[in-house]
Amino acid sequence: MKKVIIAAAALAALSTAAQAQTVRVGTEGAYAPWNFVNDAGELAGYEIDLANAICEHVGLECEIVQNDWDSIIPNLLAGNYDVIMAGMSITEERMQTINFTQDYFPPDPSKFVAAAGADFDFDNLSGVRIAVQSNTIQAAYAQENFGADNTILSFATPDQTIADLAAGNVDLILADGSFLDPVVTNSGGAIAFVGPDVLIGGGVGGGVRKEDTELLATLDAALDALKADGTVDALRAQWFDGVEPAYTE
Amino acid sequence: MMEILANFWAEFGVFAYPALFNIYFTVTALPAGFVLALLVAFGKNSRNPVVSKLCAGCIYAFRGSPLFIQLFMFYSIMLALNPVWWRPMGISWLMMHPLFIGPLVVVLNTTAYTAEIFYGALRTVPRGELEAARAYGMSSWQVFRTVTWPNTIRIAWPAYTNEVVFVFHCTALIYFTLPVIGDQKDIMSKARELFERDYNAVLHFSMAALWFLAISLVIFFVFGRIYERLMRHTSLETAKPKLRFGPKYLR
Amino acid sequence: MDATWLAQWVGEDIAFWLAYLTNGKHLQWYASFRFTIFAAVFGALLALGFGLLGAVLKSSRFAPLRLIGDAYTAMVRGIPDVLFFLFFPLAFEQSVEWVWSLHVCTPESIAASQAPWPPCREANWLLSTNEYLILACFSLGIVYGAFTANVIHGAMRAVPKGQLEAARAYGMSNLQVLLRIQVRQMWVYALPGISNVWMLLIKATSLLSLLQISDIVWWAGQLGAPNFLPQAGLVHGDWRWTYYIALFVFYILVTLISERVFRRLTVWARRGMPVEG
Repeated sequence: MKKVIIAAAALAALSTAAQAQTVRVGTEGAYAPWNFVNDAGELAGYEIDLANAICEHVGLECEIVQNDWDSIIPNLLAGNYDVIMAGMSITEERMQTINFTQDYFPPDPSKFVAAAGADFDFDNLSGVRIAVQSNTIQAAYAQENFGADNTILSFATPDQTIADLAAGNVDLILADGSFLDPVVTNSGGAIAFVGPDVLIGGGVGGGVRKEDTELLATLDAALDALKADGTVDALRAQWFDGVEPAYTE
Repeated sequence: MMEILANFWAEFGVFAYPALFNIYFTVTALPAGFVLALLVAFGKNSRNPVVSKLCAGCIYAFRGSPLFIQLFMFYSIMLALNPVWWRPMGISWLMMHPLFIGPLVVVLNTTAYTAEIFYGALRTVPRGELEAARAYGMSSWQVFRTVTWPNTIRIAWPAYTNEVVFVFHCTALIYFTLPVIGDQKDIMSKARELFERDYNAVLHFSMAALWFLAISLVIFFVFGRIYERLMRHTSLETAKPKLRFGPKYLR
Repeated sequence: MDATWLAQWVGEDIAFWLAYLTNGKHLQWYASFRFTIFAAVFGALLALGFGLLGAVLKSSRFAPLRLIGDAYTAMVRGIPDVLFFLFFPLAFEQSVEWVWSLHVCTPESIAASQAPWPPCREANWLLSTNEYLILACFSLGIVYGAFTANVIHGAMRAVPKGQLEAARAYGMSNLQVLLRIQVRQMWVYALPGISNVWMLLIKATSLLSLLQISDIVWWAGQLGAPNFLPQAGLVHGDWRWTYYIALFVFYILVTLISERVFRRLTVWARRGMPVEG
């Protein structure tokens, strides 16, 4: 499915934007605090801010395009946008189809959450209902490691996993820690982390088509600069509670 | 050429397992929908204004809104009820299962449509036959069994056949709205998954269409046979309206 | 939105909810009804066009044309509308890209392309919401045009033979009979069926989100989804059921209104005709 919805045509702050080349950034828009639609109806989040910072740095015009997660890689390949910035972990499997920029979020362990008070024997988990978002590294991991003895429910958006956990329809969610942190913090004690952290995949980076080597180099250079001047860490601190600076000493 | 055929054949097999889910949704929803529809149709035909209005209202609501919305709505309502009802009762595993909610919503939907069909047919039952049956001193159950029911079902059958095919088709919407457990996918979601992998829209969607078409034809055939049995008392060629492919196009 | 002045009049609670229901995200939801309305109106017009064409084909005296007409109207009986709805825009897009690729693609650019489709980057046709909406209207038009064709075909045959004969006796040509008598008169007989198709069509407009159009259903899901991030707005649990019930009621109301309108229309179309039965 291809589509271009410009939910928020975020313009780089350059006045020469009219002549500037446009980079289209594909994002999911349903993955707080990475990328989401806020109450004002605009796309917002860490990756939106970062994309704008990158574009400002290299003097390009940024256009943020919302696209459902399931078709986000096919639509990059099809050319609907030029970069994926959607909290996508760098994995070997994805590297076979697309290239990644250097990470702009260091490897972040995946975590389990459950209703507060629930306890599970993670060494031999069985008969448990585990929610994941479809086509994620966690979905593949859960299917491989727990698929035989447990029920794996895949949902189209990450919000749905939370809704089903809160309503007691699933026992566990396996997802990125950075996504689950605010959920646990703001759930009023109803949802808690359980079990071990699992390190799946590398850090989070921007995905670009393999043939776009020039764009990849531009983005990498921009990330280098923004990491060095502390912008990336400042944005991370702004959007993620309690993260350590990772890219500056 | 051989390669294309081999591809085609392999693709054909891929949809066999997903097709089972569409068939499952249809087969589980139809009997319940049939019985409920009969009750609701009698309710709408009832002389009690409260019962009649209530049944008519339910029929109207479910015929007047899209199944797509009904599916979303019911899943979210069932989910909201899960902590207060299903979990305390210990039936959460059943009530929240897509293989339960899917047919449940389809049952509600088809009940409304089928009830409208039966209601229409009920009103065509000849008064004279009813009066004659009562004059014979039959109980109301006997009247129903010997007069009302045979008349209703014969009139309603062609339209009901049509409804069954519609139900089969509308099962294609279920997995667009409900969570997917493991590899339980129906024809449409399988086609979409395959399409998103290699962008070959023509192959995947036409194969899905072929499966729907084939099963629809089987339904028409089987229901046509049943119709012939229902009408076997009528004189052979003349009076029998033949049930053709798609006798009635509207739902 | 600053709602303090409002709070003095209606109280804190109501003012809060009014402000919430008019925040940017909700306004986008209300605005997205335009997609649904557009798809319903233009889908219906196209369906009427396709329906007339199909009916003419079906009653053609030339066998191959009749066959095409019959195949067209029979197709919707075997295949679900949602399949057409997804397939037609994709197939259309891909055929355009394929034709285009014959002109612009070079062997090198095809070899360089990573994607399974389109053949090369230059042949990519970028569709935005507006184009998808138009294609969605065409899918609705094609599917429900087949239904309409059946209705119109039946209605054209319901026009009393005597009227046609009288027209011919007046010396009208075949075309004149078709346009001035048959098509004019058939609307009365077609209206109940057309009203039925319209009801099916408005229900099918709920499927727009499957084509990645941010329609009312998509926004309802977004608005109702639980939010745990204060920076994103109000922190709340799963409210989707309220939004879906709202849509449920919306569609019932549309059906109700349509029914009224069609009843009026029928009375108007039947004016001057003898009362039947």
